Formats: sequence, C-alpha cells, structure tokens
Amino acid sequence: MRNIRHYILLCILTGGLSIGAAAEEIIAIKADRIDTVTSGVIENGIIVIADGKIKAIGNDIEIPEAAEIIDVPDKTIFPGLVNPSSRIGLSQPATGGPGSNPHYRVVDELYPHQDQYKRILGAGFTTIGLLPGDRGSVMYYPGYGYYFGGRSPSTGITGQGAIVRPTGLNPEEMIVSDSGFVMIHFQANDKVKNVIKSALDSAKSKMSSTDPKVQPLVSALQGKVPTFVLCNSPGEILHLLKLLEPYNKMKLVLVAGNETYRVTKELIKKKIPVILPAQIEFESNTRTRINVPRMLDEAEVKIALRPEFDNVAGHEDFLRKISELVKSGLNREIAKKAITIHPAEMLAIDYRLGSLDVGKDANLLILSGDPLDVGTKIEKVMIEGKIVHEAP
Amino acid sequence: MLLFTLAISMIFIVSPLSAAEEVTAIRGGDLYTITGGIIKNGTILIKDGKISGIGQNIEIPEKAKVIDASGKVVMPGLVAVGAELGIIGYPNITKIADSLDPFDFSVSLALASGITTAMVSTGRPSGSSPIGGATAVIKASYGDLDQMLVKESVVQPVMISNRDWLRKTTFKQNLRKAQSYLRKLAAYQQAGDKKKAEEPKKPDGLDAYIRLLRREVPAVVAASTTGDILAALEFVDEFGIRMILTGAIEAWIVAEEIARRDVRVVITPRQKQRPNEDISGPSGSTLENAAILKKAGVKFAIIPPSTYFGTGGIAGRDMMALPMEAAFAVSGGLDEQTALESITMTAAEIIGVSDRVGSLQVGKDADIIILDGHPFHHKTFVETTLINGTVLYEKSKSIYFSHITNDE
Repeated sequence: MRNIRHYILLCILTGGLSIGAAAEEIIAIKADRIDTVTSGVIENGIIVIADGKIKAIGNDIEIPEAAEIIDVPDKTIFPGLVNPSSRIGLSQPATGGPGSNPHYRVVDELYPHQDQYKRILGAGFTTIGLLPGDRGSVMYYPGYGYYFGGRSPSTGITGQGAIVRPTGLNPEEMIVSDSGFVMIHFQANDKVKNVIKSALDSAKSKMSSTDPKVQPLVSALQGKVPTFVLCNSPGEILHLLKLLEPYNKMKLVLVAGNETYRVTKELIKKKIPVILPAQIEFESNTRTRINVPRMLDEAEVKIALRPEFDNVAGHEDFLRKISELVKSGLNREIAKKAITIHPAEMLAIDYRLGSLDVGKDANLLILSGDPLDVGTKIEKVMIEGKIVHEAP
Repeated sequence: MLLFTLAISMIFIVSPLSAAEEVTAIRGGDLYTITGGIIKNGTILIKDGKISGIGQNIEIPEKAKVIDASGKVVMPGLVAVGAELGIIGYPNITKIADSLDPFDFSVSLALASGITTAMVSTGRPSGSSPIGGATAVIKASYGDLDQMLVKESVVQPVMISNRDWLRKTTFKQNLRKAQSYLRKLAAYQQAGDKKKAEEPKKPDGLDAYIRLLRREVPAVVAASTTGDILAALEFVDEFGIRMILTGAIEAWIVAEEIARRDVRVVITPRQKQRPNEDISGPSGSTLENAAILKKAGVKFAIIPPSTYFGTGGIAGRDMMALPMEAAFAVSGGLDEQTALESITMTAAEIIGVSDRVGSLQVGKDADIIILDGHPFHHKTFVETTLINGTVLYEKSKSIYFSHITNDE
C-alpha cells in the first residue's frame, strides 16, 4: 500500500515532465474509414493525435509538419473496446458475507504482469472495469476467470471498482481510475438487504465523513460515482429497485443476466442501464433462442455488452459474438455503442474515452475491415497515442 | 421529498381504483363453488380483484370484459399446503417476503397446474433445535411481486419424532419453560394495581414456543406411523397447542384420536407403506386413509408425493398433478366433494387463508381456474387461470401445453 502511495507521488512529480515530452509526439492517422461511434463514419479521414489525445478528426484536416504519419489507406479505425465488468487477471473473489466493505479497493488486488492482459489487448480491449470481490483474495484460480452467477462471490457492498488499461508494468501504468464505482452484490434476502440498507443509511447521516468505510458510499449516494449492482435474476431486480428507492440520486448500473428482459418496464421507468453478456440465449426452460440485448434495446433500455466468459477466450471471441447478435437483429449502431461509448458512460469515464471525438484519449483499433465483420483482423491497438499491440 | 413520496403513492392508490371500474365476467360454465354446491351454467362477476357476484341470474354489466366458459368447469384456484416455488436469494433467507421471486419458472408451472395459492417454507432445524424455518403463504402471481405474499409465518414447522429423542426432549423442555413464563406473566398482569413484583423477563429464544402456546400458529409435525402420531398428540394434550400432522400414512388407525383433538392432517393417498410385522394391531398404508379420516371428522388436505413443479421427472408425482392425488382418495372411497375441498377450501383453512381463497364466494379473491373437464378426469387441462381477477395463464398460449388437444 505504502509503495502505491509512493508511486502516486512519483507520478505526480514526474507527470509534468512526461507530458512535456509527449507534447513533441504528434501522430496523424490517415485511414479508409473512421468509425467514431458517436458522430458517424468518416470516409478517407484523418485523426491527429497529440499528447495522447485526439486533437482533430475529419476529412479536410491539416496535418502538422512534425507529425508522424500512419498511412493506412485500406484500414478502418474504431475506438478501443471497453469491458465494463470483469475480473480478468484477478483471483477468484472471496465467498461469504453479507458484509459492507466499501473501503476495499480492487486496485489493491492488481497483478499487472500477466499474459492475459496482453492477449485481451490483442482482442481490442483498451479499457476494463474491474469488479471488487471481498477483502482480498483467498484462493488463486487464474485460469478459471469469473463466471457471473456460476459461483457465488461474497454478497453485500463488496468495494470500489477500478478502471484500468490492460497494459503496463505496474499498477500505476494500468490504472485509469482507482475508485471508479461502488460495487454491490445483491441477493434477495433480508440479511443482504439489511447490510446494504444500514450501510447506506449510516452514510446518508454522515455525508461529510472522510471515513474510508463511509466516504465511497457518500459519493455513490450523491451520484458522483456510479454504483454497479450484480443482480442476476429478474425477481431480484424487483427487490433491488424497491430497496434502493429511497436513495434516488444513486447512479445505478445493473450487471445482469439473461432474464433481465422480464423487467424492462421497471428499468425504463428508472432509466437504469444494463450490462449484459454478449450471447444468444435460450429463453429459460425452453429451446427458444432469444437475443436479450436486442430485446432490451428495442424496449429502450441502455445496454453495454461484456464477454460471456470472463477469460481470454471470451474476450477473443467477443467481436464475433457481437456480430452474431447483430445478425439476429440487434441494431448495428447500438451494438457498436454497446461495446464502446455505452460502457464508458456507465463507468462515468465517457468524458475521456469510449468514442473517437476531439479531446478524448486516442484509444483506437486499426482494423482490416468493419469491426463486426468476422473476417476482420485487429492489426494495431493504440492506447493514449501509443501503439501497444501489433498483430504478428 | 415527502411531497414526492405522497405524489408517487397517490399514483399507486389511484390506479387500482380506476381498474375497479372494470368488471370481468366469467359466463356459461359449471361453477364448482366448493362451499355452495355446483351452479350449472352460472356467471361470476369480478370487480377490484374480488368476486363481486355469483349465480345463474347475474346480469353482466355492458362494459364488462367477458370470458366465455360455456361447457367448462369453473372452480377456485387450487391450494397446495406445501410446495416449492417462488423463492430466490438462497442461502440467507429468514424472511420469505424478502426473497419472493415472481419470475420463478415454478410459478408459471403452478399457474398451468391450476395452483394459485401455496404454502412455501425454507430452512431446517439445526443442532438439537426442533424448530424449523420460515413459512409463508404465497400466490402464483407471475411477474407481480406486490401481489405475491398472502401471509407470513402461518405455521411453525417442528421436527420431533420418536426416533429423534433429543429434539423431542428439547421441544418439551422449551415448551415447559415458555409455559411457566406465560403463567408468571398472566399472574403478574392479573395482579393489576397491586404490582409489587417485577414483570417476568421473557426468556431468550422461546418466541416460537410462546406463539405455539398462545395458539397463534399451529405446529407442523411430520408423523407417518401410529407411534409418531400418538406421540405428537401428547403435546396437544399437555400444552394445548394447535397441530398439523403431515405425511400421516397411518392416520386412519388413530383417526378418532386425531379428530378428538381437532388436529389437522396432510396426506398423500397414493403413498404406500407395508404393515409392520413386529407390532400388534393394524399398521401400514391404505388407500382408504382419506375416507376413514373423513368419517371420523378429521379435516385434511392432500398433496402429491413430490412438492416441486417440473416438466421432467416421473409424470404425475409432482405438484402438476395435484387433482390426480385427490382422485386417488376418491378411489379409496372418499366422496368427490371432500376430495375437492382437500385441495381448495380445507387446504386454505389449514394454512390460515380461507378468508381469502379456497372457494367461489362473493368477497373472496378472484383466484379462479377454468378447466376443460371434470377436475378429477385424467384428460382434464387447466385452460385459464386468474389471480386477483387477472388472467395470468392461458393454455392456448402456453408453449408447453397448447399443442395438446383432446381427440374425441
């Protein structure tokens, strides 16, 4: 912990220097198509990047003389993918509870030197929202990943999630935000409900507290940080909405399962966005296939998609799964948003990433074709103006 | 904030009122009222989720939504005194209201089976404690959490049997402790103004026993053999508690004893048990169990061997064939009326909700099922299920049953 503090200090001290150095680096990418996600597609476009940020984007842009030019006349540029809810690279979360541990931060679990991060980077992911489990990890199962609903992690308020880049040699290089959101793992029973309610009520009565066990909840209650709630079944969602009714400023994001479509009415009423696994599902207890992301989108619920399996293979398969969803009716534009800007919005980090817009981080993918074409190859991955991955 | 809450609650209050103007009528069916015989070609009016009229000469309001049940059987939704459905949030459940799941698959199957009300329970006794977990009576109001709970803590499951002497002893000792506390409390309260003594302190952990002694809830005791049944009845004699005996295979042998103590019974007529050759006197199961209990004046409910709902498993053994189980009792000599009561009105009485469900009577909840034949016929299907006046199941729209037709 002390080491991390030192690192942060170091970063602040050297921050000015590094930005100064980066200022020299201007990059211009000339591409066949630039899919901004938020403001349409630019044919034969140019992106100018300086200081790791997008300085200009469009057709008739003057390229500064000093710029290093990446000329890819037959390629497509797409924003880096954002997975809003993952535990990739982390140990299996602790089981047990219910408890309230908002002071627990998932960044303290970070373990950067992992091949998994390199490989999901190669799969196009430039931003990951990491979910906290409980007080540190008790067991180490790196290969299994974290399947929502399969095992049951600890319940209650499980801590603060982090937003990271899957690159870097130490935690500080990975972290975009170390306290991006508060995480609740909900279960519909009186014990879990009481733990959550009493923690929130006590935070409500101490709004100016700096106690690390209270402060994150105060931010969550004021809506300054989003609150992610893991809540698998539609019945539990009804219980959750009732429980959190009095705390109406909270910005809720549901990390939900495939039956969420049964409660779309309630979700629309409260404008709650949902993170769903990118997968064609069976309607429960039937052989009928359903496209849940499509159903929710058509009901006007905002959706973000995550890999169905939270491991490397899941991330590598992700774009293909998105293509399948589009093939069976999910709106193509929504599908693109659901893997970039929507998850960024849910993580409240859309002011700096999630789309190709002026002022945002230059997190982008150089693709051989359309991102949702299954034949497309991810050729280069750029995070904040630096090429961090090149396909062999 | 307060105003906002008020405004919100106003909306909720107003909407049922506007719905109250809407009247639903079920017309043309044979109404198996349970409490008032069979009304041929009758009409039921439903208003505000309740039955507002029933009979042959009922005028249907012009704007009423009419459900045609000509040639069908219309009866109250079935009541199961023990079933597994509608609960999520395992494993930390202590209060069922906090863990109800209106989207449970079993809830939808309950509707398809005509079961509209059921008692659910969770948790088992731990250690030497004989006291079981929580219970609640719920409705199969699919998709509607607010209408699901009817009543909580309706009975107190207790695990005592002659083989489980430790629990049985604990039960007796704790009942005595609770009894002595209640006596002291009564004496203290009787003393009135002359109060000098201190109010007796309520002993810890005996709430369940106090409720039993005050006859607020009945104890539910699993007792299949004559020995277990008689041992359980001793508790009724000594402590005056109310009691429900479940799985009472040998109840027919001691029917008079059970009747005398006004103890209720839950049976599964097809359940078989060989006579015990080691004991003198009668033992074992008989198909006539229900008929004998009826003759002795015992009130009983019927449930199938398995209390879950499923499309798999051995067909006919689970909750989806509840009327068939009652039909077994009929084949053992029970009259049809009592058999019907055992899965409707009597079942509702046993779990304490007969004021709301269990029969077609004015003022009761409009939990109604429409069948395409006699409830005890093996070919009969539930066609429509209503809960609180709302149609929640139609066979013609069911992905499981709509393709099954009666070829005659």
